[in-house]
Amino acid sequence: MSNLHPDLDLLTEYAAGSLALAQAACVSIHVNDCRRCQRIAGQLTDLGAGLFEALEPSPVGDAQLNAVLARLDDEKPLEYIRKKSSTSDTPAILQRLMRGDFSDLNWKNVGSALRISYLKTGDPQHEFALYHIRAGGRIPEHTHRGTEMTLVLEGGFSDANGSYHKGDFLLRKPGDVHAPTALQSEDCICLAVLDAPLRFTDWKFRWMNPFLKLRTV
Amino acid sequence: MRLVTDRKDGEGGPHLDADGNRSDEWSECLTLIAQHQDRAAFTRLFRHFAPLMKAFALSGSTLSANHADELVQEVMLKVWQKASGFDPQKAAASTWIYTIARNCRTDLYRRLQKFDTPLSAEDVTDSQESEEAFVVLHQKRSRDRIHALLAELPNDQAQILGKVYMEGKTHTEVAGELDIPLGTVKSRVRLALQKLQIQLER
Repeated sequence: MSNLHPDLDLLTEYAAGSLALAQAACVSIHVNDCRRCQRIAGQLTDLGAGLFEALEPSPVGDAQLNAVLARLDDEKPLEYIRKKSSTSDTPAILQRLMRGDFSDLNWKNVGSALRISYLKTGDPQHEFALYHIRAGGRIPEHTHRGTEMTLVLEGGFSDANGSYHKGDFLLRKPGDVHAPTALQSEDCICLAVLDAPLRFTDWKFRWMNPFLKLRTV
Repeated sequence: MRLVTDRKDGEGGPHLDADGNRSDEWSECLTLIAQHQDRAAFTRLFRHFAPLMKAFALSGSTLSANHADELVQEVMLKVWQKASGFDPQKAAASTWIYTIARNCRTDLYRRLQKFDTPLSAEDVTDSQESEEAFVVLHQKRSRDRIHALLAELPNDQAQILGKVYMEGKTHTEVAGELDIPLGTVKSRVRLALQKLQIQLER
């Protein structure tokens, strides 16, 4: 069970459907695995339904109704199949985007402890990437030019503010500086969704900053 | 809540829920569609919900009237196709239908912006429904409470919720449009949620 969750603002935008695609994907992976957030997201969706029902109706003529009725024959009701919880531990959205498992991905090595794989969500404004940090490995100290959502998928990591484990959801604001280190016991895989590139504050890596671009694949 | 009072027993018949109560009219329509492909039930749903869907489509400001009509048709067809996935024990018909409308509108926006994506809005929605009776009852109570309290919200809070939900704007976009600080938008949303008793438990 995770300890860190999206805040109420984020869950509201999520339930209202106003979050950008890559961000919504990240939040939904957390929510699908978190009963607390599911409950709140459910209430926030009920709120949306209440607002929807209170809208001033906009007239729809019989021609529209007849057009829809005429199309019903082509659209046989779907036999609804309850989504089976797949045997894989990997969230369904990720399996879809990865077309396989973590091992099938194209990983780019960044130093000895970190490798990154960029996934294409189709969201032009957000980078959606998996970070694989070797057990005990450290990501050079960096700051964020924009916001970053991080979701721990496997293992865990720590930084000056605390330690984070599977299922934990973090939102970094512009200017937050940190140097995450994977837990000693196992490799860590995180999903990170960025709306602006990182900026390294670690002297050894600052030369890279001008080359860092947002990768939407 | 509307109750169906004018239907004869027999074909279709009124549906009773686990507590022996009549379920509401819209749940019943969805059940009739799922079990009997009932066009009369579909027509009743259409007459009630299609004008709301059209209003919802048009509140999103960037959709033309043609796109709004297209959206209404698409959502109603989805309702027809997916009715067997609706479980009246676990979900409210209005929430179920609103969710389809919301997802279809988001997908339409993305199509219009020529997003090349393997994900639909439905894919990035949480899909778990609780199986536990206690949780289901709790959800129903909170839903009734939210609907009742919604009418009592002050105008400035209701306006912001409308922009976030019906116009599909992020808090930042709402702040820009109303020319008020982002913090004010967030605090009004929070106040509204407090009044509706939607909060994070610790």
